[in-house]
Amino acid sequence: MFELIRSISIDTEKGRASGEAFVPADHPLFADHFPGHPLLPGSLILELAAQIAGPLAEESAHANSPIERWAILGMVRDARFLRPVFLPATLVINAEISRSQESSINTNVTVTSEGERVMQAELVLMLLETAPEWSKAIEARNSRLARWREAS
Amino acid sequence: MSARDTHAEVVTLVRQTLALPETEPISPPQLFFYDLGFTSMDLLDLLFRLEQHFQIEIPEGTIYHLARGDLAEAEFAEDAVLTEAGRQRLMDLLFDTPRELFPPRIHATTLPRFCTVGAITRLVDHKLVAKTCSN
Repeated sequence: MFELIRSISIDTEKGRASGEAFVPADHPLFADHFPGHPLLPGSLILELAAQIAGPLAEESAHANSPIERWAILGMVRDARFLRPVFLPATLVINAEISRSQESSINTNVTVTSEGERVMQAELVLMLLETAPEWSKAIEARNSRLARWREAS
Repeated sequence: MSARDTHAEVVTLVRQTLALPETEPISPPQLFFYDLGFTSMDLLDLLFRLEQHFQIEIPEGTIYHLARGDLAEAEFAEDAVLTEAGRQRLMDLLFDTPRELFPPRIHATTLPRFCTVGAITRLVDHKLVAKTCSN
């Protein structure tokens, strides 16, 4: 699903990131959700939010420590789905760090579509130390981030 | 706030964390990981709930720092593994955890898994007293 994110900008000093995602109506993932009335599932809104919050957590952790970390979504707290997102849709995702610890970073995320807030939640990103065998995945991540950054 | 009140509130938050019914008995000697089936994510969730409910901060490494006390870092742990003195300090802090549960080598990141409900209640009480003193 990384292909749905269009852009990202990260400000580690302020602990914030924002990004944009475009979800087309004819994406095969939504063929059955629902036929003729494509609706973005809440779980995927969370996933898109995590794709913006994750790099924020990784870069923030890296700014404070030489060890490179990989952020994975560990917990979703107080998620509220405020409006349905009918497709196609452009989503604006904002993430802000609310708590930073050595092994986890909490972010408050909000997702808006057409100027209306559609989801808000607290995402807890768990920080794993990267291992040498992850080099290909890290390379892919860095390339993806560079592309998203260029588009912002 | 009395210790008994704190315990009742902690128990409510533990039940919420595990989505347990109010009828589910939870007592001070129960161990989070061994008796209640907590995972590390459950414990993190509970800590967030405790912080929010009691308006306190329980940063990562709290058990470690409380157990270490005034012991020098090098005397407490080497390469993130507790020394014998460190292990003894941990067992003193968590006095209601059965001694046979503490392995000879205890990694510093695993300390919360030895906590009982009673130990977390004491931790909350400790934080509440510290908060009152700082106000």
